[in-house]
Amino acid sequence: MTTTLTAEAPASGAGASATRPGDALAGTGALVRFILRRDRIKLPAWLLGMALLLSMFLNGVAELTKTEEQRQDLLRIMEGATGAIFGPGYGRDDITTERYVVGVYGLFFFVLAALMSLLLVARHTRAEEQNGRAELVRSAVVGRNAHLTAALVVAAGANVALALLLGGVMAANGYGGADGLLFGASVGAVGLVFAGVTALTVQVTEYSRAATAMAGTVLGAAWAVRAAGDMIEDYGSPLSWFSPLAWSNQTRPYVDGRWWPLLLSLGLAAVTATAGYALSGRRDVGAGLVAARAGRTDAAPWLRSPLTAAFRLQRTGLIGWTVALTASGFLFGGLGEQVADPANMSEDRIDMFGGSVDTLLDGYLGVITMFTAVLAGIMVVLGVQSARTEETKGRAEPVLATATSRWAWFGGYLTVLALGLVAMLLIVGLATGIAAAVAESDGSYVWDLTAAHLAHAPGILVMLGLAALLFGVLPRAIGVTWAVLGYSLFVGFFGEIMDLPGWARNLSPVEHAGQPPLDDVSWPATVTLLLIAAALAAAGLVAFRRRDLETT
Amino acid sequence: MTTAIVTSELVKAFGRVRALNGLQLSVKTGEVHGFLGPNGAGKSTTIRVLLGLLRADSGRAEVLGADPWREAVALHRRIAYVPGDVELWPNLTGGEAIDLLGRLRGGLDKARRDELIERFDLDPTKKGRTYSKGNRQKVAIVAALASDAELLLLDEPTAGLDPLMEVVFQDVIDQLKAQGRTVLLSSHILAQVEKLADRISIIRQGEIVQTGTLAEMRQLTRTTIEALTRQPVTGMERLPGIHDLEAGDGPVRFAVDGEHLEEAVRALSQFGVRALTSHPPTLEELMLRHYGDELAAAGEPAGDVR
Repeated sequence: MTTTLTAEAPASGAGASATRPGDALAGTGALVRFILRRDRIKLPAWLLGMALLLSMFLNGVAELTKTEEQRQDLLRIMEGATGAIFGPGYGRDDITTERYVVGVYGLFFFVLAALMSLLLVARHTRAEEQNGRAELVRSAVVGRNAHLTAALVVAAGANVALALLLGGVMAANGYGGADGLLFGASVGAVGLVFAGVTALTVQVTEYSRAATAMAGTVLGAAWAVRAAGDMIEDYGSPLSWFSPLAWSNQTRPYVDGRWWPLLLSLGLAAVTATAGYALSGRRDVGAGLVAARAGRTDAAPWLRSPLTAAFRLQRTGLIGWTVALTASGFLFGGLGEQVADPANMSEDRIDMFGGSVDTLLDGYLGVITMFTAVLAGIMVVLGVQSARTEETKGRAEPVLATATSRWAWFGGYLTVLALGLVAMLLIVGLATGIAAAVAESDGSYVWDLTAAHLAHAPGILVMLGLAALLFGVLPRAIGVTWAVLGYSLFVGFFGEIMDLPGWARNLSPVEHAGQPPLDDVSWPATVTLLLIAAALAAAGLVAFRRRDLETT
Repeated sequence: MTTAIVTSELVKAFGRVRALNGLQLSVKTGEVHGFLGPNGAGKSTTIRVLLGLLRADSGRAEVLGADPWREAVALHRRIAYVPGDVELWPNLTGGEAIDLLGRLRGGLDKARRDELIERFDLDPTKKGRTYSKGNRQKVAIVAALASDAELLLLDEPTAGLDPLMEVVFQDVIDQLKAQGRTVLLSSHILAQVEKLADRISIIRQGEIVQTGTLAEMRQLTRTTIEALTRQPVTGMERLPGIHDLEAGDGPVRFAVDGEHLEEAVRALSQFGVRALTSHPPTLEELMLRHYGDELAAAGEPAGDVR
């Protein structure tokens, strides 16, 4: 019986490799159903969300490909260094809606499919081990490789479903079904590759988050290699082919579609997954290949107040966000010249970049600055949510049982986030400014862009205040801040083009800063926003002082 | 001041569940007070109210002469706390967590901290996420005991500790008691507090159902005795305070009231005792003594629990 064999295998120790393959997979079917049950909301949400996103892109882009002028705008995004960010740019000589969506927005779907897959695999393998749940499950009639196999089976199934769904969306919108399926399969292939990569990284470390970060780094590197390769040569250079993302671009749907590059994706997925299995067989449950390092025996002398404690807990996040946004600011700052070339630019885009041909570059930089500010807002909201996690997980309780007041504890978080936000905008602004100054040979951009980034701080601080208020009054609803953040991004990008009424635009805190560096900094707006932010935060602190501490 | 903690008519409800239902608790200064009750009886809720982490719906609580909700911070300088379920920061080491908590309370004794780490055999260099439950518990215990707090609120502090560490823990609490500090020690197992507690309060469904010294309670309870003898045991049923006697060919078993223990043991010794086990009254038995009927009606065995 399988029961006795699996039960004996661990006891015999050396007999690990002698176990029959079927035993190592015992229970996989049950685990697959278990994963589907646990992800019954998450997985459909990912798939349907991506299908919906594709539908939205198709409808949106269809509006932007009507006139020759508009197509010239799009060409600007698809060629040269800017184009290389998104893809090799096949079909840009004769832009159509489907070619543009697949060639430019395709990158979003690659990244989303990769994230879906790597989070899924990490969640059902390493995270289970880290929490000790895998141990409980493995003590039942469940084979050594069952967890990994079940996660990979679900990931593969999800990516196949994704491919069919995206192909269906293309077909349903009236774009060729065969090429649509090819596009869907290209997206799914990226997902498969990163499911395989994660199967490997989860073996390396003991921590699910570290495994996710490693796979995410591979994704970032894959993008960088592909982008660099595509910058070197039109339609991709040999360097591009070292990136799994390139293979999915090289299928060229809606141009001269071909399936064979996806064989490379399947091959890499298989190789990485096999390596994952091999490593998995060499380690104990819960252990990683890299042993956990010992840390400090005692705390650093400065770690002695609620404020410094909040900083210590937020430090990694602050540094990570600053590095990422600085890199993207530097990149976008240097691309201004090419994007803001007024030749053949459509009215819509001129509107988006401030409405005047003379100040297109400043307008472009204003949009980039606004975009960076909203991304910084994500960090701020995540920070408040991590304070909430401290509370619900019971880590705030022992701290608040010391001589630390509620004001000092939550106030420490808010102070760290507010100061961190300002410091981050300062650094990112400098980086963007330096890149623009070098590209334009005009030193004044350094100061202008730094000031522009800082001018957005009050609007983001209002978001922080809102999250703080919700934390105090209705902590379950902190997520509402995400909607405000998303709305602000929408207004910032499309408010002008869509002729949104003034009041609707004014609902976005970010809008009140204007479009620096195109607009001058408005001091009355700055002061008003700061006062609102302070009032919201103070109300949140008072409310938190008056409510029970919630632990689960 | 003679009382460290007084509560009267304390009520706390979570939605429709009344976690505390008119709780009356009194802890004298300088005593180790056992706070006993089954899981879900309201022990942790009481301690959280005493710390000002939860606000009571009605009733009064006074800790070291002050209102714990209003003067939480000032009070916390004089209180140390070990939570029932210790959660540590995943990316801080145990040593860092101990120092942080100690400093936030207003400083900790470095020498004492190191001594306690040594005695509890704790590795302070490991990250919080890698500790087992017992080791997380040790981190919280060291952080609390390294302080010079007057009052210690310990919520099931030894849950998850191995027996050796439990001995160390008892030793350290004895030292604190000798220094005149007050300890509120909650548990759901009587054996864990009986060695330490001067007085005990039993909580059930949000109410204190009994308070007193262990000796007083023992009077009210029975010790279970099981013995193997050379000769068959006879005549035990004639002694006062003997219950549930099972005497036959095998070992003899009976329960005896605390006040009659001495006579029973003397009588038993005449038959040549070869092996003897005695079970002190468990918390369950203390509870059953008063609520046996109710629990029996609810389908629980009302006889010997252990």
